[in-house]
Amino acid sequence: MTPDPAPYTHQHSKAWLAGAAGLVRGWTGTEGERWIFVAKTLLAAFTALWLAFRLGLDSPNTAMTTTFILALPSSGMVLEKAFYRLLGTLVGCGSALLLTALFPQQAPLLFLGLALWIAACTCGAAMYRNQQSYSFVLAGYTAAMIAIPALDHPAGAFALAVTRVVEVSLGVICATVVHDALFPRHQSAQVMRTVQARYLRFLAFCREVLEHKAPPAETELAHLRFAADIAALESGRAAAFFEAAHARAHTRQLHAFNSAFMAALTTFYTLHRLAHRLRQDPASPVPALIEPPLARLAAALAQGEALQGAALAGLQTELATAIAAARAQACVSVRVDADDGKPASPHRIDFETAIELLERFARQFGDFAASYHGLAQRKRTQASEPQSYTPKTPPAIVLASGFRAATALLTVAGVWYWMAWPYAVNAVLMTSIFCALASSSPRPTAMIKQVMTGFLIAWPLSFFTEYFLVMPASGYPMLVLAAAPLFAAGAYLTTDPKRAGVGIGMTLFSAQVIAPLNLAHYDVAAFLNTTLAMPLGVALAWAIFAVVLPEHTMGQKDHVAAALWREALAASTAPQHAWRPWSALRHRFDNRVRDLLSQLNAASGPAPGEDARAVVRQGLTLLELGHSVLELRALIAESGRSEARRALQDCVSALAAYFRSPTRERCGTAVGAVLRAGAAVRAALPETAAPERAARLRTALTDLHSIYTCLLDQLLTSTSASPGARHAS
Amino acid sequence: MPRELAVFGILIPTLLPIFLASLLLQGALDWVLGHAGLYRRAWHPALVRLCLLVCIFSALTLVLYS
Repeated sequence: MTPDPAPYTHQHSKAWLAGAAGLVRGWTGTEGERWIFVAKTLLAAFTALWLAFRLGLDSPNTAMTTTFILALPSSGMVLEKAFYRLLGTLVGCGSALLLTALFPQQAPLLFLGLALWIAACTCGAAMYRNQQSYSFVLAGYTAAMIAIPALDHPAGAFALAVTRVVEVSLGVICATVVHDALFPRHQSAQVMRTVQARYLRFLAFCREVLEHKAPPAETELAHLRFAADIAALESGRAAAFFEAAHARAHTRQLHAFNSAFMAALTTFYTLHRLAHRLRQDPASPVPALIEPPLARLAAALAQGEALQGAALAGLQTELATAIAAARAQACVSVRVDADDGKPASPHRIDFETAIELLERFARQFGDFAASYHGLAQRKRTQASEPQSYTPKTPPAIVLASGFRAATALLTVAGVWYWMAWPYAVNAVLMTSIFCALASSSPRPTAMIKQVMTGFLIAWPLSFFTEYFLVMPASGYPMLVLAAAPLFAAGAYLTTDPKRAGVGIGMTLFSAQVIAPLNLAHYDVAAFLNTTLAMPLGVALAWAIFAVVLPEHTMGQKDHVAAALWREALAASTAPQHAWRPWSALRHRFDNRVRDLLSQLNAASGPAPGEDARAVVRQGLTLLELGHSVLELRALIAESGRSEARRALQDCVSALAAYFRSPTRERCGTAVGAVLRAGAAVRAALPETAAPERAARLRTALTDLHSIYTCLLDQLLTSTSASPGARHAS
Repeated sequence: MPRELAVFGILIPTLLPIFLASLLLQGALDWVLGHAGLYRRAWHPALVRLCLLVCIFSALTLVLYS
């Protein structure tokens, strides 16, 4: 029996159609998006060029280059960079005019002033993140771009500055209109996807850890990734802020989400460490006691997205009953409630600490989940005290990048003077641009190498384009056709994250040199001179990074380690004022430590080495210590004169001394002080009548206990690797 | 209104300060509309914003040049 052919072909064509539709969908999802991006970039560039010609501006290629610089994947990012580019250009032009007015025709003084200005700007760039940092970079090199060409005729500086501002603004307008209005990719949607992925990942991570499936090394890496995530979400939020679709209330909610996440993560780490430590001791009955509540928590976290509203409230009550059951059982087995005046058994303190931490985690997780669901369902929740993310760069790195930028400028200016090669001014500009740009990158030499590769690829291609395609072209459409292939190739490469630097190098180089001015003017000698000077400048920037303070780059682990100790010290000594409540101090400490960890993550790449992991471990321990110290300090500030208060104060100052110079002796002293404070607080506990105050004292005991165990761990590890040596570096 | 303004001997088109002013005005309006939640009801929020800017700029220009 032969099958009926009609349904077969029908089915076949249906399958074929579905396959084709799938292919098209796949293409628009991956390659198509890249080509749309290329088309938008070219449209913005040629619109800017055409407008610049039409308005008769002096150097139309600046407008075109601006559009290439602003070609970023999402419209929020384009708007953010555009805003900061405009800001940086205005400030840079202002300072260039000031410098030219102060030192007219005095080259050495002008260069010194310029070097100082660029150093200050580069320091600023290292201190900030995202496009704010770019704004500083731009303020620095715009000043160089205007002051250096105006060296011999200072009267022209104002005209140069005005041209620069006008052309940058033209480029900014074209780029923002094109990228924001045509097929926009919304940053706010991206941010929401990140938020959701992070939430689910955190749930999965917690569940794995609670079910003892994650080895300790894995959890360190997970914490490192989470730190990077926090920084990434913050930069995404900053970009989404500029989008029209971004509700302003979202900003507060995202801040609240980030800080709730950090709080929950820290508590979870402490809890996990404690549980891990307890399991090392086979004689301890505590792990078996706390296992049922932990398993209950893990089971609840397995619900994922469904864990909200009633389910969340159910989790809290279930956990409370599980904890009560554990307490009842503990009464029998470890006699935890035996307040018979005897020195407390270590198991009892362990148990109480674990329960306290578990309760704290449940509370903080509840906040975190609520802020997530508020965001996901676009509810308008009242986020209390929204605090923005505060980044922190180790000061040695900040100063080093400023010093490097100044050295680079002075060196290349010296070379320029000595060679008396007029086109070397291009090299000066390129060196100062790339020294400043690369200083906020964790691997500056790799970045400069990529750009250099782009320059070298674009060199012959742009020569060919300029003299064989653009020169014979007549009229604007022909010009577009002639120049488009090279620009498109560069723009296409920038969409590949691995080769983005090469693409940027190509587009920058070709946009700079393929510059049909209003009065078309082709000069092969000038072309060769300029194109020789530009790669030379980039090469010099590379050499500067390789030679001048090569170890002082963003996220270098020794600097991060030292900065982590300093942050802990600041947490134990920073003064508290009415305008800076304890929650603000805690938030700042948390942010800065995580920012340092995210820098470390960026610098150490996908597979951090053993040294980097040691720094992460150290950082997490310090995070734990710092939070406990802050809580103790809050308690000290609230309590009246008493024995317990004095003991706690001694404990905090011993810890501060330890953070200042982490040696074994100081660690031992701190352990002694912690034990004394614990005894004093425990003695004060029965005398306290107010239940609220008693609860505070119990929290303090928990904190003291976690400080104590952390310090013991430190004593163990410091025998193998002395943190003192690392701190001194 | 003069077509160009002379600032330190440099001629600047009067449209430039007008454009800056309309950017400022648009920023203020944007803030208000963002808080009112208008953009979430629009199909293409960025286009709405752009059109508002064009309207403001054109209105200012018409007022000054007519």
